[in-house]
Amino acid sequence: MDVGELQQTLDKLHQEAKGELAAAKTLDELRSVRSKYLSKTGSVGSLMGTIKDYPPQQRGEVGKTLNSANKAIQELVTEHTDRIGSAEVAADAAASTAFDPTLPGERTRLGSVHPVTAVQWEVEAVFERLGFTIEAGPEMESDYYNFEALNIPQMHPARDLQDTFWLKNGMLLRTQTSPVQIRAMEKFGAPLRCIVPGRCFRYETIDASHENTFHQVEGLMIDRNVSIANLIAVMKLLLNEVLQREFEIRLRPGYFPFVEPGFELDIACLICNGKGCATCKRTGWLELLPCGMVHPNVLKAGGVDPNEYGGFAFGLGLTRLAMMKFGIRDIRVVNSGDLRNLVHPARWAGPVIVDKG
Amino acid sequence: MLISVNWLRDYVDIPDSLDVRALAERLTITTAEVEGVEQIQTGASGLIAARVVSVGPVEGRANLKKVELDLGGKSASVVSAAPVLRVDELVVFAPPGASTLETGEIKSTTVADLPSEGMILPGSAIGIPAADQDAIFCPPSMKPGEAIDQAMLEDWVIEIDNKSITHRPDLWGHYGIAREVAAILGKPLKPYPVADIDELSDKKLPEIPITIDDATRCPRYSGLKMTGVRAQAAPLWMQTRLGHVGLRPIDCLVDLTNYIMADLGQPMHAFDGSRIEGIEVGLANDGETFTTLDGVERKLSAEALMIQSNRKSVALAGIMGGLESEVAEDTQTILLESANFEASGIRKTCAAIGLRTDASARFEKSLDPNNTVLSIQRFVKLASAEFPELQLASRLSDAYPNKLAEITVEVDPKLVARTMGHPVDEKQMIDILTAIGFGVESKDGKLSVAVPSYRATKDISIQADILEEIARNVGYDNIEPRLPEVQVRHFAANPQHITERNALRAFCLGLGYSEVHLYIWYDEEWLKRLGFKPQAGPTLVNPAAAGQEQLRSSLMPGLLQAADRNRFHADAFKLCEVGTVFKEGPDSKNQSRHLGLISARRGKGADDELFATLKGDLETWAWQMLGCELQYEHAKDEATPWTHEHKTANIVANGTTIGTVSVCPLAMRRNIDEHLAAWSIAWAEINLDQLHDFRVESKPLRRVPEFPEVELDFSLLIDATSPYAAVNDNLARFDDPLLRRITYVGAYEGKSVPTGKRSLTYRVLFGSPERTLAEDDVNALKASFEKHIGGCGYELRR
Repeated sequence: MDVGELQQTLDKLHQEAKGELAAAKTLDELRSVRSKYLSKTGSVGSLMGTIKDYPPQQRGEVGKTLNSANKAIQELVTEHTDRIGSAEVAADAAASTAFDPTLPGERTRLGSVHPVTAVQWEVEAVFERLGFTIEAGPEMESDYYNFEALNIPQMHPARDLQDTFWLKNGMLLRTQTSPVQIRAMEKFGAPLRCIVPGRCFRYETIDASHENTFHQVEGLMIDRNVSIANLIAVMKLLLNEVLQREFEIRLRPGYFPFVEPGFELDIACLICNGKGCATCKRTGWLELLPCGMVHPNVLKAGGVDPNEYGGFAFGLGLTRLAMMKFGIRDIRVVNSGDLRNLVHPARWAGPVIVDKG
Repeated sequence: MLISVNWLRDYVDIPDSLDVRALAERLTITTAEVEGVEQIQTGASGLIAARVVSVGPVEGRANLKKVELDLGGKSASVVSAAPVLRVDELVVFAPPGASTLETGEIKSTTVADLPSEGMILPGSAIGIPAADQDAIFCPPSMKPGEAIDQAMLEDWVIEIDNKSITHRPDLWGHYGIAREVAAILGKPLKPYPVADIDELSDKKLPEIPITIDDATRCPRYSGLKMTGVRAQAAPLWMQTRLGHVGLRPIDCLVDLTNYIMADLGQPMHAFDGSRIEGIEVGLANDGETFTTLDGVERKLSAEALMIQSNRKSVALAGIMGGLESEVAEDTQTILLESANFEASGIRKTCAAIGLRTDASARFEKSLDPNNTVLSIQRFVKLASAEFPELQLASRLSDAYPNKLAEITVEVDPKLVARTMGHPVDEKQMIDILTAIGFGVESKDGKLSVAVPSYRATKDISIQADILEEIARNVGYDNIEPRLPEVQVRHFAANPQHITERNALRAFCLGLGYSEVHLYIWYDEEWLKRLGFKPQAGPTLVNPAAAGQEQLRSSLMPGLLQAADRNRFHADAFKLCEVGTVFKEGPDSKNQSRHLGLISARRGKGADDELFATLKGDLETWAWQMLGCELQYEHAKDEATPWTHEHKTANIVANGTTIGTVSVCPLAMRRNIDEHLAAWSIAWAEINLDQLHDFRVESKPLRRVPEFPEVELDFSLLIDATSPYAAVNDNLARFDDPLLRRITYVGAYEGKSVPTGKRSLTYRVLFGSPERTLAEDDVNALKASFEKHIGGCGYELRR
């Protein structure tokens, strides 16, 4: 094939390519047309390999001819790439007009912690920010830790107030998280700041507001110069943080053998804001947590010198707090294991449109 | 306990203008919790005393009586429904024109065709609800026609929560409450009105012989014999006050002892003096029977403390008198007992015989022994006004073998102020303490505080107790809250807490499990349905219900019960519990914290898939929270009904078996019921206590290789019975300098895999840090790995 013939062939191929590129509707089609002409084995590309068959003096011209043909087709490819690209952009824009960006997202089905755990974690977070450590203790407890070491000797009437589940092996189910006060003092000595969330058990008849199995969080702070003013401040902070509202609180005398003085801490009723309603028995106050200054005998039992150190302790009813926070009216659902009561339906049902309870 | 404000006014000047509700609130935050405040309004006017002249029947109306009354110069004829009326006795009467809120204005009317000119008022109409429809009798000192003082009928009643005064024996009577009110109001407390002690100690009168066998059980016994008493009504003011505090007026003698009990908190007992000479306080004979004055015959043990006369039991000490020695209609002489008994002995006896009385409830609080004599003096003072012929038949006899120790507490005022976190000066402390009966001496910057006997029986003995007295009277609401100043200290994290929080975070926040809290005891009925007999474990003496005695040794029975409950309301769910399980033995070490997981889905045949996804969840948790891979060992010796015979593995982390994963066998699901049989359930139980030492160590992240690496997949055909773990061990023995990593891709059984075999696919990564691998390298590696596979006895699936 002489140079003239080569030019004719290339012109013909150019025309063919031009038609095929114009007919291409997608980038994939475009790519295959390009490959058909310009790839190593393509109709134009394969001619590149024939340069060496020409006499040396013609090779320069042949090369130029081939290169310009190649370039011309490449330019057509670029042009049609733009054409198809713009068309796709336009089509994409047109297709999006019906898109509703306000539809809710599709959710991963997550699990849920128990309402008591949720509140427990909030309480823990507050105290961790105050430098308290979080301790744990056994549920099957000895008389010594549950009563004796807490200044509640045999025949003390306070043992009646806390009806106890006794075990045939002589142990008991702890009636309070307070035994861990002693265990923590034994472990760390003073100064000490800790809270102890955990399950407690009292032998009583279950009804809508009484459970034999419930959660408490014990708090203990021992240092030099700990005061009642400190106790009030920490309790106020705890309740404001956990309930996320400013609350009026009040302290009044309360008797617990392991503290002296002992207090009952009331908060202004959440339902009526202190005006008096059925929930607060018309008093405007809800009894929330017993607390007090640690009794010297308890410090001694924990191996801490009461002449050097003092402190405060409190026992917050976590179950009660969870009920207040989550609006649980019947305490029996707490240990029911019934997910209808423990998980908000919206968690699994998807976005709520109407919620009438 | 109910407190009458009229009664308090005997002892402290309470301004008329003072709002009783405000006073009650101060009492709550200073002294004891007030549960309620009630105004007693009878609206009575025009009431008089009337003498019963005659009582006759009303024909055809058994519940009515025709009564003729002497109104003092006038007479009246009425029809009355009062159940008991006796001729010559005086009753509270409302003539026409008189009125009360309950009855409205009284008019002359006709009842059962008889004229009725007025009304014999029932107790309920004049503020004595305990008397209900009974007539109220007036004492013989009143005259027919005498007007009744209506002011005493109007009152306020404050209800104190008994639980808030269990530690305060002094608050079980009006005088003790008045002492607190006086301190709150800053008013003086009036002296307790009693008969002069010298009057009662006339040596010419005989002494009652009193023998106390056990001075611990009975520290003090005081007695006085009197003649000239008779059956008659108590004064109306006394009856009214008893009514206001919920007691029923009965008869002057009984009412007097009840009144003093509500006044001073000291229970007393009046024996018929003609039947008792001397007093012995001793233990009952084991098995002795004794009839108390409520007519019940009680069997006693040798622990019961008795009041005896000539060694014959006449009363259950501190609890109730005996029927035989009770005062009767014709009693003219009484022996008045006022004693002090040890609290725990009374508690024990009450519990043993199942009887608690107003008296025993007070003795259980450790009463002030000084009140025995004081209450007798009070009795004589009140009784002389009612019985003009009252004469002492003995001198005040008092056996006090076990004297209450006097308590003096050293108090550092600076320490008190510091512990309160509130500035209180010494003078304020002294004023507060003095107002509530403490003796204070100031010496060298310290206070020497003498505790009054009514606070010294158990209530107050140390500085912290005195601090409470000061602080509560300053008012806790006056203390400015202030965050503590502390010494910073580092505490080692509690591994149990960390492990549990991490498990809940992973499974409940990340992996779709819902946390539940279940009871820690087994339910026998449910275990029966599961077909499970647990090994012996700790057992409750007093279970919440029959069949709930044994503490759980596994979380699974409870979780399966929760699953059974939830299956009605969902098609699929995953449950999680972190809780305690128990082993038998009297040591708190015999319990551990477990994690239980259940993954359940409606429909049979999903066992294998749930088993695999549950294991995937465990592996994710282990990677995130334990920092390790899990291994599984085929477990075959699990004996519980919820463990599958074949589809069960021990979970191994860093060489330690930490739990079990399995699926619920059809047999167990069928045992529950046919509905559960149509579900697939996988479960796992992990002992969290074994995980305390696991640490997530940060693994160095890999650099992107400088030279491209080559990934090759190999599928091995192996015996279906040969476990994955063994294959892994064999593959792990392959070694080559160019080998980077072998990972598991998946298993396949089905088409193109012969029966009895399964295909396991592994991905092998080769690479060099120095060069790009050539085709020859790759071919050689491939051949070398295939040779290794062959050497292990595995066939390659092409």
